[in-house]
Amino acid sequence: MVLRPPASALKFDLVTKCATTKARAATLHLPHGPVQLPMFMPVATQASLKGLTPKQLEDTSCRLCLNNTYHLGLKPGQQTLDAIGGAHKLQSWPHNILTDSGGFQMVSLLKLAQVTEEGVRFLSPHDGTPMLLTPEHSISLQNSIGSDIIMQLDDVIATTSPDHARIKEAMHRSIRWLDRCIAAHRNPSTQNLFCIIQGGLDLDLRAECTQQMVARDTPGIAIGGLSGGEAKDLYCKVVHTCTSLLPDLKPRYVMGVGYPEDILVSVALGADMFDCVWPTRTARFGNAITGTGTFNLRHAAYANDFRPVEEGCNCTCCRPESEGGLGITRAYIHHVAAKETAGAHLLSMHNVHHLLDLMRGAREAIVEQRYPAFLVDYFHGMYAGDKERYPGWAVDALRGVGVDLLAD
Amino acid sequence: MFNIIKSTPQSLGPRLGRLCLPGRKAIETPHYLGVTSRGVVPHITQDTFRRDAGINGVYVPLEDFIERAPQKIPPIYEFSPPDGSSPLRRFIALPEETVLVLGARRTPPVLAPAANPNTNTSISVCTAVGFRTLKAEDYAKAAEHLQPDIVVGLGDIPYGRALGSKRIEKATDRQIQWMQDHVALRNSNGKTKGRSKLFAPLSLVSCANQRFYMDCLTEQLGELVSGLAFYNLAPLEDLPAALHSLSRLAFTEPSTPHDILQQISMGIDVFTIPFISAATDAGIALDFTLPAPQITPPDHEHVAPRTLGIDMWLAAHAIDLSPLTKGCKCYACTKHHRAYIQHLLLAKEMLGWILLQIHNHHVLDLFFAGIRQSIALDVFDSERRRFEEVYNAHLPEKTGQGPRVRGYQFKSEGPGEAKKNKAAFTMLDDGKEKIAEARQEDVEVVVDGKGGEGGGSPAA
Ligand SMILES: [Zn+2]
Ligand SMILES: [Zn+2]
Repeated sequence: MVLRPPASALKFDLVTKCATTKARAATLHLPHGPVQLPMFMPVATQASLKGLTPKQLEDTSCRLCLNNTYHLGLKPGQQTLDAIGGAHKLQSWPHNILTDSGGFQMVSLLKLAQVTEEGVRFLSPHDGTPMLLTPEHSISLQNSIGSDIIMQLDDVIATTSPDHARIKEAMHRSIRWLDRCIAAHRNPSTQNLFCIIQGGLDLDLRAECTQQMVARDTPGIAIGGLSGGEAKDLYCKVVHTCTSLLPDLKPRYVMGVGYPEDILVSVALGADMFDCVWPTRTARFGNAITGTGTFNLRHAAYANDFRPVEEGCNCTCCRPESEGGLGITRAYIHHVAAKETAGAHLLSMHNVHHLLDLMRGAREAIVEQRYPAFLVDYFHGMYAGDKERYPGWAVDALRGVGVDLLAD
Repeated sequence: MFNIIKSTPQSLGPRLGRLCLPGRKAIETPHYLGVTSRGVVPHITQDTFRRDAGINGVYVPLEDFIERAPQKIPPIYEFSPPDGSSPLRRFIALPEETVLVLGARRTPPVLAPAANPNTNTSISVCTAVGFRTLKAEDYAKAAEHLQPDIVVGLGDIPYGRALGSKRIEKATDRQIQWMQDHVALRNSNGKTKGRSKLFAPLSLVSCANQRFYMDCLTEQLGELVSGLAFYNLAPLEDLPAALHSLSRLAFTEPSTPHDILQQISMGIDVFTIPFISAATDAGIALDFTLPAPQITPPDHEHVAPRTLGIDMWLAAHAIDLSPLTKGCKCYACTKHHRAYIQHLLLAKEMLGWILLQIHNHHVLDLFFAGIRQSIALDVFDSERRRFEEVYNAHLPEKTGQGPRVRGYQFKSEGPGEAKKNKAAFTMLDDGKEKIAEARQEDVEVVVDGKGGEGGGSPAA
């Protein structure tokens, strides 16, 4: 159980609750400044967001980005991080950083990782020697990184696993590991430890885990183990179940999600924070994320398309020169895509801005008590008003919180 | 347009000038132009270019924009910004104040596979889909449409080949024809507003050896030519006095700052410097200044020459929070440190090369400022000598890996590799040339790689 009095380095101000859905607008005060919830967090895996300078990332209005503990633990390594004074100093990022525990990436990237009560055993990708990531080591690494939000080490297995006993074991082990993480955390007054709710797609396990973890009173709460290819309707049920049991006055983070419509539905189900590598990753393949879908600008059709990447977009890339932007056209992105890295950088700027702007719009709608209408408009725009193309899981999940996407 | 502020009494020598183009920030010379690839200085997005690169002018090769011509009209030919401004400038999102120079080929260009790739009416260019023929007429038309500030007339430059006297004669004839045709096209267009300044390319031989072309430039074209483009230094040696007032732009591929100093001593005004990006890709932070730092060796002791750059791959930088070079005011040095840049290189994060590219261009910017100052103070020759004493003659060897090579860049040769004009070829006659051309169309080199994805990290 909780071995020391809970400490927190954040303040959560709930601004508005949506009168219809479970959506919330809040301000989260973190050690490196306030952020507005709900929010999307871009992923700067190795202390750099694919080709953007920290200044450009700041320009997209991002004030909280992710670093991956697994990668920073390898390069530059804990010793170097300690010598430099942490990840903020490493990347000269004056705003907030969230790190994962490293466990998920170990299990997903290293085939030979094996989970025991002690921790995650794996072979070093450097020289193949056996190593062990314990809850204590993960927290120690994250303490060296100095991230504003750190995650507990959890026992992650795919939600799609058929092994119910293993899922149950993983859930209970994650609770035990949370206690070890709390005990090992050296900087509770400057770094916020979030617990991670596990339990696969079993709603009873999820409920039990939620209650146990809420009792530990961490500054924030994450819902983990999702975004692993489970059916979207089951995903929504898990989020809905967990948020119903969570206290109002703590931030809720759904890890590894995702696509714009996943995020907007999850917001309606009461989640606040999201992260995904997709906007930057897809940019490298020439994909532009817009309010009417994702387009591959490497397609020949864009060679002569002199419109901005997304019309009306206010990002540095799309904004006309007369308004201080670059006025970059689709034709130009087509011209450089896959030939000069700058093409991917420009699209990353647009894509990250698109996600952040979408969240800004969602938050405004929540504050003004028009989030249901915002959802209706979003899906209408995405599917050009063709309701038959609306994804059934989204329609169902939103109906469950009082929004009928199909109503006239 | 080009004012000489100070020049040496002898015909050749370092000189100070100012390149003033309508609507652009004036460039004090000697100076350099950023070398672009597909409209960007490699790694540097347009917003970072504006904010942090400090580059006053860029060189853009047309061959980066015309891959499907002439079968398909290149998109940029169909682009006309509503305000009537330069389609090229708008397309590549170049700031208003930056000088835009258009030429036909990259510097350094990818060498054509055929021995004699140019004809009386066209040159061979390397596009993203392989070698193509660019007609002199089409080049002139494109240049007039694209409205750069400076257009370098099409040159019959036999890259990578030695020149026999027959070939020189032919090059001279073509050069005259192409320049006359280009000028005629401009005259027939009538308009003078927003018109590019035309620079005349010079062949790779002394002016005496291209005398008819020189006569054409001095007598016939006169006022219509605003500058000269050099592909080597041979024509500088006996440049007619009548052409001395023209600004001199060099595509001479200097491979060290020493080369730059030598070329300035012969009167070059504006450079294109491929070694900047090459150093960046090699993970090297350039580190040289003019005047060279004062070194006071203890009595008669030998001091090892200073290195021209710092290899940022080395583990020695891992916890070094100092800037790339002490006191450097560039974005990379004022906001970041060696430890981060070394980390980014090791992690194959593209930001590493972005930061190095910003720094390396800044180092050249200061180097040229130092050069201008030394000319103004009449100490250029002594500072040049001291520079050569203090610094190594070569850039450091690269130890790490560069960024993943774009398919398109794959065949480009970096500075320091294959030097042009070394091969001792005998001249092919016209017939052989045509055969060579025909063959070249059959074995078109496709250099556009698939999946030029830039990243390196596994997707989570
Ligand atoms: Zn945009
Ligand atoms: Zn610098």
